[in-house]
Amino acid sequence: MRWPTYISITLVALVTGLLLTFQFRVSSRIEQGVPAGRAQELATELHQLDAEISRLQSEVSDLEAKLRQATKGQQQALAAMAGELTKAKIAAGLTAVSGPGIEITLDNPPLLLKTGRPASLYVIRDEDLLRIVNELRGAGAEAVSINGQRIVATSEIRFAAPFINVNLTRIVPPYHVLAIGKTDHLQAAVSIPGGVVEYLKDLGVRVEIQPHDKLTVPAYTGTRQHTYAKPVQSR
Amino acid sequence: MWLGFWLALFGLALGVLIGLNVPLLLPGAYAKYLSVAALAALDSIFGGIRAGMEDTFDNTIFITGFFSNALLAAGLAFAGERLGIDLYLAAVVAFGVRLFQNLAIIRRHLLKK
Repeated sequence: MRWPTYISITLVALVTGLLLTFQFRVSSRIEQGVPAGRAQELATELHQLDAEISRLQSEVSDLEAKLRQATKGQQQALAAMAGELTKAKIAAGLTAVSGPGIEITLDNPPLLLKTGRPASLYVIRDEDLLRIVNELRGAGAEAVSINGQRIVATSEIRFAAPFINVNLTRIVPPYHVLAIGKTDHLQAAVSIPGGVVEYLKDLGVRVEIQPHDKLTVPAYTGTRQHTYAKPVQSR
Repeated sequence: MWLGFWLALFGLALGVLIGLNVPLLLPGAYAKYLSVAALAALDSIFGGIRAGMEDTFDNTIFITGFFSNALLAAGLAFAGERLGIDLYLAAVVAFGVRLFQNLAIIRRHLLKK
């Protein structure tokens, strides 16, 4: 045999060895990995999932917008509820309020310097305060207090000798009745001729009515318990 | 004769060594074409051995046949893949049949000695 033959034999053997080892390595790797057909399958699946992802993302943004709107509505509702609560608190007297109104100061008849005895034997009774409060309410007073005791729906003004109790708290003269409302109306209501103030003045009680541009009526400080009263479910 | 045998063994060992140590690896998608090419190469080799035993060995035919068979087999498989025909199966069958024929003839030659 000639030399080219040996060369070609060597070359062919080399290439064959290369091919076989390459093939061996590739197929052994493929066994561990993913088959070609499966790869295509997975690629199409990936495409589908990508499309689904974008679809779901748009859905997410859509729902987020809806959620934002819903929470916006919720905030409005919350604000409305807070407003209602404030109104209810004012109505129930659970919060201190301020505004224009009048202050009525009542005091028992003074002691005379000469004799050391009172000018009149009359002392202010619970009915007098009740009448004043009644008049003020009738004149549209929005908040009333006597000596710092806010008059609320359950407040009592009652004689518990020798003091007057308001909200189960003793009050002593001089009595300061604060009322918030339209100043003119309140003043006119109590000082009407033949009204409660004139009547008390006739009895020797010292009465002062003073309008204020701004006065503060304190909040009700007692406890509230509704053991027996339960709200009725309205249909 | 023995020189050729040793040279072939040496070349094979060298090829295996290179193949095992080459860092780059063909992607799995080309494994099919490579397998057909390897089959064609094997067929050419056995054809060459048979020709050598029949004393009709022609170096030019051997070397051209080796490379053209391998390349054509891989190329056909590739084309078949693109056309949607499993042409590589045809290559496997054709080369496989020839491989076994060649092996049978080589066996007879060895037994006749």
